[in-house]
This record gives sequence, C-alpha cells and structure tokens, in this order.
Amino acid sequence: MNPARPTPAAPAGPMGMNPLENFRMAFESLWGNKLRSFLALLGIVIGVFAVTAMISLGQMATAGITQDLEAIAGRSIFVQPNFNEGQDFSTAPIRQEDILALQTLPAAVIPQLFTSAQYEVRPGTRRSIQLQGTPGDLPRLDPTNKLAKGRYFSEAEARGGLAVAVLSDRAARDLFPGREAVGQVARLYYPNGARLELTVVGVLQPPGGLFGGLGAAATVYVPNELIWNTSPTARKGQYDFVVLSLKKGADARQVTRQVQRIFEGRYGKGKYQIASTESFQDTLRSITLILQALLGAIAGLSLLVGGIGIMNIMLVSVTERTREIGLRKALGATSSQIRQQFLIEAVVLTLVGGLLGVVLAAGLLLVITATVPFFKVFILNPATVLLALAVSALVGLFFGVWPAARAAALDPIEALRYE
Amino acid sequence: MVASQREKVPVVEMRGVTKVYRSGSSTRTVEVRALSGVDLTIYPGEYVALMGPSGSGKSTLMHIIGLLDTPTEGEYRLGGEPVRGLSEAQLARIRNQRVGFVFQAFFLLPRLTALHNVALPLVYRGLPLAERLKRARAALEAVGLGDRLDHLPSELSGGQKQRVAIARALVQEPDLLLADEPTGNLDSRSSDEILGLFDALHRQGKTIVMVTHEPDVGARAQRIVRLRDGRVAEGGVA
Repeated sequence: MNPARPTPAAPAGPMGMNPLENFRMAFESLWGNKLRSFLALLGIVIGVFAVTAMISLGQMATAGITQDLEAIAGRSIFVQPNFNEGQDFSTAPIRQEDILALQTLPAAVIPQLFTSAQYEVRPGTRRSIQLQGTPGDLPRLDPTNKLAKGRYFSEAEARGGLAVAVLSDRAARDLFPGREAVGQVARLYYPNGARLELTVVGVLQPPGGLFGGLGAAATVYVPNELIWNTSPTARKGQYDFVVLSLKKGADARQVTRQVQRIFEGRYGKGKYQIASTESFQDTLRSITLILQALLGAIAGLSLLVGGIGIMNIMLVSVTERTREIGLRKALGATSSQIRQQFLIEAVVLTLVGGLLGVVLAAGLLLVITATVPFFKVFILNPATVLLALAVSALVGLFFGVWPAARAAALDPIEALRYE
Repeated sequence: MVASQREKVPVVEMRGVTKVYRSGSSTRTVEVRALSGVDLTIYPGEYVALMGPSGSGKSTLMHIIGLLDTPTEGEYRLGGEPVRGLSEAQLARIRNQRVGFVFQAFFLLPRLTALHNVALPLVYRGLPLAERLKRARAALEAVGLGDRLDHLPSELSGGQKQRVAIARALVQEPDLLLADEPTGNLDSRSSDEILGLFDALHRQGKTIVMVTHEPDVGARAQRIVRLRDGRVAEGGVA
C-alpha cells in the first residue's frame, strides 16, 4: 500500500480563501446569535435612520418651499427703492420711461403704487388698510393673483381712473365682515381726510401654502390712475415699485441682470433694489441646507454611539470565541484571515443595520408625505441611500479594526487552552 | 511495505530542539526550559506515542511538531523542509496542508453541522464550497459517520464528536496526524472505538503522533517516545 499523499505537495496556488467565504461566515455567525446581533446593530439602525430621514426631510422641505414660493410669487423680479441705502418712494420713484424700457424684456411689467388709507370700523373708530395701485386685469399679467369672486377691473377702467376696487381676501373680511363684498361701496380716507368711495368689483383668493400667512395682508387694489388723481402724495407718472412677471422660458438671472443694467445705467448703483423670487429661493435653500447640516451632524453622533456599541459587541464576541480562533489558526488560518473574518463580521453587522435604517427612514418619509400637506413630494435620493450605506460600512470598518486586531493577535496555543 | 525512497525523508526530523520560555521584567527574568536538545525522527507510516509525566515538555514538543510554536534553538524539518525562519502566514499554510490536529476537547464549532465542521480547514485552501463538502462527506464516511452529516455537535456522543474531529484532520490529507490525548474526555467504550479507528488509520499507512499519559493507550502505538524534564528519555530515533 502506498501512503503517499494523493495530492501533489502543497498546491502552490495563491494562498487564500475566497473573500466571499468571510461574508458567508459572518452571516452564519451573526445569524447564530440573532438577538444579540439585532441589539448590537440597533444603534446603527437608529443612527442611519436619523441621518437619512434628516437629509431627505431637508430636501423635501426645500422642494415644498420652492413650490409654495412659486405659487404665491411665481417667477418674478421686484424693483423698488433701495430702502437699505436710505432711499424711499419719493427719492427713487420709478418713471414712465423706465417702464417703457422694461417692456422690452421677456416679462409682463406691472407698475404699482403703494400707499395707505383708513376705513371706519365703527363710527369714530378708524383703522389702517393698505391701498395698492395696479394696472387693469392684474390676474392676466401675474397669474399668482387669482380671483375668488367677481372680476378684476379692466384695462379701460384702470386707464380712466374709475373708482373701482378689488379686495384681498383679508380686506374683504375686514371691510365687510359677514357680508358679500362684491357690489358694495367701500369708504376709505386718506390721512388728510380726503374720502374715496370705491365700488368693489372682485375679491382675490387668499394665498396658499406655507407663506399664506405672510401674504394675508388686508389690501385694496385700485387703478394706478385713481391714486394719482386722489392721493395727496402720489405724483402722476411715477410708480412706487414694479413687478416683472417672467414669461415661460425666460431666464430669471439673465433678466435680473438686464433690469439691473437699465436702472444702474440711468440712476447709478444702489438707488434701486432688484430682487427675484429665485434669489429668495436661494436664501431659503441655504437656510435649509444649514439646518440640514446641523441636524445631520446631531444624527451623525448617534452613528458614533452605535459604532461604539458595535465595537463593544465585537470585543465580547472575540473573547467568547477565543477557542474558535485558536482552532481556526491550528487548522491553517493566518492572522490576517482571522482579522478579515472579524472585520467583515463588523461591516456586515453595520451594513445590515444601515439597510434597516434606510428602510425605516423610507417608511417614515412615506407616512409624512401622505399625512403632512406641506411635504408634497417623497424624496429619497439614491445618493442619500448610498451615502448612508457607505457610512455604515465605514463605521463597521472603523470600529471593527480593534476587535479584529485582538482576534488576529491571539496566540493559538493560549487560545486553545482558554476555558 | 514503505518504499525505501520515502524511508529516507522522515516526516518529523528534530536535531537538538530546545525551547526556552522567558517571562518577567527586565530586571528579573524567569527562564523556563521546556525542551532541551530533543532529537526525534518519525518516518512516514509510523504510529508514535509521545508519553511523559506532566511538565515533561510533551505539550511543548507537540506544539512544535504541529508548527503552533517554534524552537528557540535546534533544527526541525517537517517532511524534509526546514521550518526555521518561516513567517506566521507560511507556518499557517503548512499547518493547513501537512498537519491534522485532533484535540482532547474535540473543538468542534457548536453552530456548524458535522459536515461543515469537517469542511472547515478546506476554507483556508480556497476550495469552492461544493468541493469542500464533497471531500468532507468522504472523510466522514471514512470514519463511519456517513449517516450523521447534518447533526450538530450537541446531537452527537463523545465518541462521535471525536470521530468528526478525526475526519476534520483527515480531510486535510496531512503528512501527520497529531492527536493530543484524544481519549482523555471519553469513557472506556468510546476510547476503544477511537483507538480502533487510529489503528485502522495506521494500517492504511497514515503517520500518527499521539500524546498521552495513559500507558494502555500508548501501548497501542508502534513506538513510544518518553520525555522526562524536557529531554527524550527513550525512543527518540526508530
């Protein structure tokens, strides 16, 4: 009989096991300890859940704010005296020739006047109300103004300076509480006592969304011409501010620059303030971004805590499995293979935690989208998911290094003797 | 029965192997001389019992034979190849391919079935799972446990556990079976069963080194190497 080994001497192939083997072993070992594995990865689940939910909620909030802002202001550019630089309506008026220049741009130009008046709540008690001059047919020029009742005064009525008015929802409720406003006559008084009697022809819808409260001022809209003719302060041919409602496809930034050029060319820098809804959105976006970063950092702390939990459980596991480690070494595992095994176990643990966290976050976001009106769209970026999973894998790698190194450093003889 | 050409290449060849353990601080070191000047030769197909009272150094010698430890001084060749200066990874690889361990306490992984326990050493050879399981099944059949493949260690008797452990050593197709008190945890009936299995493996031509302190166990071997105070007192060379 020939006792020679049937295999040719030590196969010289690359030392090594298939790296997937370690994943298989990791799952086996984690599955064998289901309850403990679950408790260990709970910290990671919560951390990833928090980070993912924060990032996505931030993105959903930004989307909601953008939509709301477009609903109340559309894509518009505002020109008004630069109050920050000490200008006011009388020092920096907008003239007819400016309006003509603006009309060459791809936007509906809506020159307006802004003043205040008073109305009588009860005989002897007067309260202030905003009086705003506009061209006729405003809802056509700026579709964010929607009529609730009646009609807007026409182009012809506006040009003729007729004593007609359209009320904001709030103004209608203030002036005619509990009554139908359209068809009534509203009596307003200028500060000098002059009286205006206006026939109400329409009522606007209240602005919706998050900014509904901001836009809910009591405003009486009348023809610009009427204010020129009646107000003691207004001067004919001069406007207080202009809204340019951008046409479809117009580039907000480019038109803003053109408007700037017109006014700076005529009056120099700093006299007029030119702002676009786009720039408001930018501001709001940067605010939400800061909030997001702040909340994300706090959520990130929970990941750190979760990682320490993983390290703890891995250290316990290494101690518990000392004999297993000794045996594996005796059977031919190298220290680096043992290190790999425990490192991958930690990574699998945190990765599973990360996946659970993302699934939980997605669930929460779905519930929020379905129940909170402000969050209209469900956003869960693939980039966010990838980031969450990558971070959880890194947490496993980082906090697994030490326990894995301890496992790898065990002396097999000592480890096999360990009781 | 053994080819004369193989006769010239011993499985184990030791010349003057000494092992000194140092412990303690830099000012007061304690030296323990576990082995001093051991000469030992074991040829292929031999069945050798390593005996001696506790503290005689037989555990240390077994660890050195099995490459779990390295000599402080002296020369050791395993299968004709010197092991001096090999890295930890190289030693692990040779252990994986040339040495099959059988331990007193079996050391089966409790959550793995008999089949997967036996297949374990082959993981470190990079063999695909199907091949590992095929070889493991054959090894279990060879020790008479072909009907216990899917049993967990907790579902097996002591003797069966040790047979699984022997199958795990055999699956490596090692140059050397290294058994450390393999019957130490077994009742006498199971002991007989296991010793019978070693006898059979010896008849098949396997090289076996068995550490034991029981004279009747040692008597089953072809040759007895006795250690006393870290030296070979008897039987070092065939």
